[in-house]
Amino acid sequence: MERPVPRLPGGDGLSLHLLGIRHHGPGSARSVVRALDALAPKAVLVEGPPDADAIIPLAAHAAMQPPVAILVYAPDDLRHAVFYPFAQFSPEWQALRWALARNVPVQFMDLPQANRPARADADAADDETGDDVREDPLEAIAEAAGFSDGERWWDQMVERRHGDADAFAAVAELMSGVRAELGERDDPEEQRREASMRRIARAAEREYGDVAVVCGAWHVPALASMPPARADAELLKGLPKTKTAATWIPWTFGRLTMASGYGAGIESPGWYEHLWETRDGVVAAWMTKASRAFRDAQLDVSPAHAIEATRLAGALAALRAAPLPGLAETLDAIRAVYAFGNATPLGLLREKLVVGERLGAVPDDVPQVPLLADVAREQKRLRLPPDPAARELDLDLRKPNDLERSHLLHRLRLLGVAWGSPREVRGKTGTFHEVWTVRWEPAFAVALIEASAYGGTLLGAATAFARERAASADGLAELTALLDATFAAALGDAALFVLAQVRDAAARTHDVGLMLDALPPLVRTRRYGDVRGTDAERVGETIDGLLTRACIGLPPAALALDDDAAEALDARVAAVDGALRVLDEPSQRATWHASLARIAASDRVHALLAGRAMRLLFDAGIVGVDDVRVRLARALSHGTPPLAAAAWIEGLLRGSGLLLAHHPELLEVVDDWLCALGADPFVAVLPLVRRAFSAFAPPERRAIGERLVAHRGTPAQAGALIAADDLDLDRARLVVPVLRAILGGEAAS
Amino acid sequence: MIETIGTTLRAPAETLYAQELDALAREDTHPRPARWKLSPWAVATYVAGGTLSDGTAISTKYFGDRRLIEIAIATLATDRALLLLGLPGTAKSWLSEHLAAAVAGDSRLVVQGTAGTSEETLRYGWNYAKLLAEGPSPSAVVPSPVLRAMREGRIVRIEELTRIPADVQDALISILSEKSLPIPELGADVDAVEGFNVIATANDRDRGVNELSSALKRRFNVVVLPLPESLEDEVAIVQSRVASLSATLALPAQPPAIEEIRRLLTIFRELRAGVTADGRTKLKTPSGTLSTGEAISVVNQGLALAGHFGDGTLRAADVAAGVIGAVVKDPVQDRIAWLEYLETVVKERDGWKDLYRACREATG
Repeated sequence: MERPVPRLPGGDGLSLHLLGIRHHGPGSARSVVRALDALAPKAVLVEGPPDADAIIPLAAHAAMQPPVAILVYAPDDLRHAVFYPFAQFSPEWQALRWALARNVPVQFMDLPQANRPARADADAADDETGDDVREDPLEAIAEAAGFSDGERWWDQMVERRHGDADAFAAVAELMSGVRAELGERDDPEEQRREASMRRIARAAEREYGDVAVVCGAWHVPALASMPPARADAELLKGLPKTKTAATWIPWTFGRLTMASGYGAGIESPGWYEHLWETRDGVVAAWMTKASRAFRDAQLDVSPAHAIEATRLAGALAALRAAPLPGLAETLDAIRAVYAFGNATPLGLLREKLVVGERLGAVPDDVPQVPLLADVAREQKRLRLPPDPAARELDLDLRKPNDLERSHLLHRLRLLGVAWGSPREVRGKTGTFHEVWTVRWEPAFAVALIEASAYGGTLLGAATAFARERAASADGLAELTALLDATFAAALGDAALFVLAQVRDAAARTHDVGLMLDALPPLVRTRRYGDVRGTDAERVGETIDGLLTRACIGLPPAALALDDDAAEALDARVAAVDGALRVLDEPSQRATWHASLARIAASDRVHALLAGRAMRLLFDAGIVGVDDVRVRLARALSHGTPPLAAAAWIEGLLRGSGLLLAHHPELLEVVDDWLCALGADPFVAVLPLVRRAFSAFAPPERRAIGERLVAHRGTPAQAGALIAADDLDLDRARLVVPVLRAILGGEAAS
Repeated sequence: MIETIGTTLRAPAETLYAQELDALAREDTHPRPARWKLSPWAVATYVAGGTLSDGTAISTKYFGDRRLIEIAIATLATDRALLLLGLPGTAKSWLSEHLAAAVAGDSRLVVQGTAGTSEETLRYGWNYAKLLAEGPSPSAVVPSPVLRAMREGRIVRIEELTRIPADVQDALISILSEKSLPIPELGADVDAVEGFNVIATANDRDRGVNELSSALKRRFNVVVLPLPESLEDEVAIVQSRVASLSATLALPAQPPAIEEIRRLLTIFRELRAGVTADGRTKLKTPSGTLSTGEAISVVNQGLALAGHFGDGTLRAADVAAGVIGAVVKDPVQDRIAWLEYLETVVKERDGWKDLYRACREATG
């Protein structure tokens, strides 16, 4: 290969080796390495943020493992951060490594982020290594060539040809054609970027002479025809200038895909990595990897499958007029041969193989934001490494290490880093156990950099953040949630501040429901929190104040409710009652019970709540069974509409049927009422009554049924009620003759 | 060929579309596998439709995903057997007939799978008169369609593979892996000639199917044919099939209004999915499959009614009986599902009054 890349004469006589690539294209990467070997340039320019020039040498560090990304951010305004991700097979990465390995000077070349106006929304940071995805010029060419998308076209025409070096000349020519066809876009940002590239290229050319430029194919024509330097200087005049910093962060293959919304957006990093690593027998090797993935998922696949799938992929490629099978062909073949036409196993393959689960790593001496470094230290200390695959973490809060892990996860959550998401614990005693699903995402680094505005350590940042949110919180509900979060994260100072805010907000609010909501977390803080001395007193005072207000407001709030609202209030009443029982402060409970008594006595509150209040009072020993019977009889008397009566029963019986089982006099009242109902009202209340009874445990129901037999003496009806749970005697009897025939003999009937 | 009087009721694909096949063969410059009448590329065009450079329009035979067609054809080109799997009425047999017609020029080598299909239908039988008179000889062998396809290097279709008893199914294993069929009585083997292949169809939902053994399954590449994705696709399928069928059946009615087909398919799709098209109402799903194929026959039946007993235009009343027949397969459960649908959805819908009344009347 003689001169694989033409030195393109520029406008003012300078010449550069222009290597137009496709970002993250393994074929481009191969071609770039080969071209660089052949050219042996004195210096290399790579499209990328000049802000990060200082950290380029770290790319050669032994501990640097792609996928990684350069993160450029403004320390003064941390919401603006831009990523430049690199995989092993990215041409830019290969160019950097090539230059660093040979001590050839290497620089980034683009408009520095420092000179770009702050973006309106940080999410639009898909700028990465540059190309405009919104109007992909390659898409147009690919469509014209009959391909389904631009990616596959480039794949076919350039990257599959095992690094044919004069591809770059063809790419330059093609892009000139495309840009001439589409006309220069009137995008000042792009014009400035290319002007900046040219300026850097000119300077490098002056300094080193022979320079190779690795940039997105789209920019090649802009660099090939150099306008006078003055014109570029004009374009770049008066740009804003902000301070930026750059660092390396680990990245994942998942984040390289389109679905994540970041990255230059390649659909199949795993496939590209395979193309990069495998030179011969690409499809057969891919099928073997697929076989292993299938076997790991306990699906039987033999080498014969791999052979047939390879053949089918080849035939499909021929049918689709492609020189070699692509990803689409291999997946079609796998589906037809491995998966019997079933699409479901392919989902597994996509995750494991097509995208891949690789997480990169960066050396420890990478310059870091203090908060990031602090989190990394904590992760190391608590032996909780960041891992991109989701896994479950069961923490026993009685162990110091687990408790600290829990604090770490809660603090990060408070800062918006959802590394762990807590799961409901069932069966275990809730206060000692926390079950988390943890899954690390590289983007958390950004969230932490944002959060570092609040402080340099995790504890400091979380505390400051909680205080700021408490100060600006809107309403009691938000404060209550925040109080819970600060408590779980063991942020003592912040918790007290939030508490004060809660007290103030409680004084202002009129919503009894919100006040009730605030009580259980407060009680938890009082009971289990590590607040001591005067702080504990202050929590107690807050509870007192809030409870008093809530108790005054509760009876009126229980008036004129529809069924749904009554349900919601009922749940809150039950939660508060439970919390107060835990705390066991006589004066507080007395206040609470007085309020409940007013509800229970009223005929105007929603019947569900009245019944519930009566039950809570009875359980607390405030009222006796005779009181309940009198009140029950009144609730069920003729004047009460049947539906309201049924709701009253439901409220009374919620949770446990023992009340009826142990107190025949109450059961009698309910039974009499039910039996006295006319046909239509009976049908109307039946669902409600059934709902109330269905929540009881089978032994409770059995006990109630037995009571009824004793009371009514109608075993036929009651018998069905007793047996309903486990045995239908009539139907069981039908089987007996058959059993007898099978067992042959005198089986007892 | 046995003599018949009059024209045949249904001509095979290669006769009906002879003109298209000829045009494709003329235009086809791509390489053809041994004994294929067309190149794989041309077969794909024949099935998916298109326009040739000489202006011949190729009608679309299969409306679904072109990739599925390509996988099926590539499978045949690699001499692996092809299994088309799917619910009843997803055009499995239709696709297999057209593939055989385009690849081998003949779609008539068929084994129709039933519970009574015996090994002779898959391998060979004997002409007993000759066998008794002459003893075992090649001329006493009655070849099955499979055996003929092997000898002549053609495509044999096996319909409803899963209806065939499992032990008979397994007779295919050696044919598919060895590509040869021994006849021990003659001490000879019949070796398959290049171009031989098998297209089988099967459905995995019907009652009374025999699961394929995994040994047999491994010898097939499987393509699952889905139900049409959008209402518009399905309307197009029904319309084109009804048009071609009513031409052959010489139905004296007007081609149906697209609106009527759309209403019918809306009913089918909603009941199939168990939810109304707007996603608001949950529905009970009847036990029938309510496939596109059934929709086609309901429309045809309606056309016959309209032509012979009505005013020649397809009306709600003509469709109603057919719809009920398709939906209510189980007299108790399906009837409940249907009545609920009728009362909660059909009755309320704007412009469906006539259909509601007709269905109400026919349901009784």
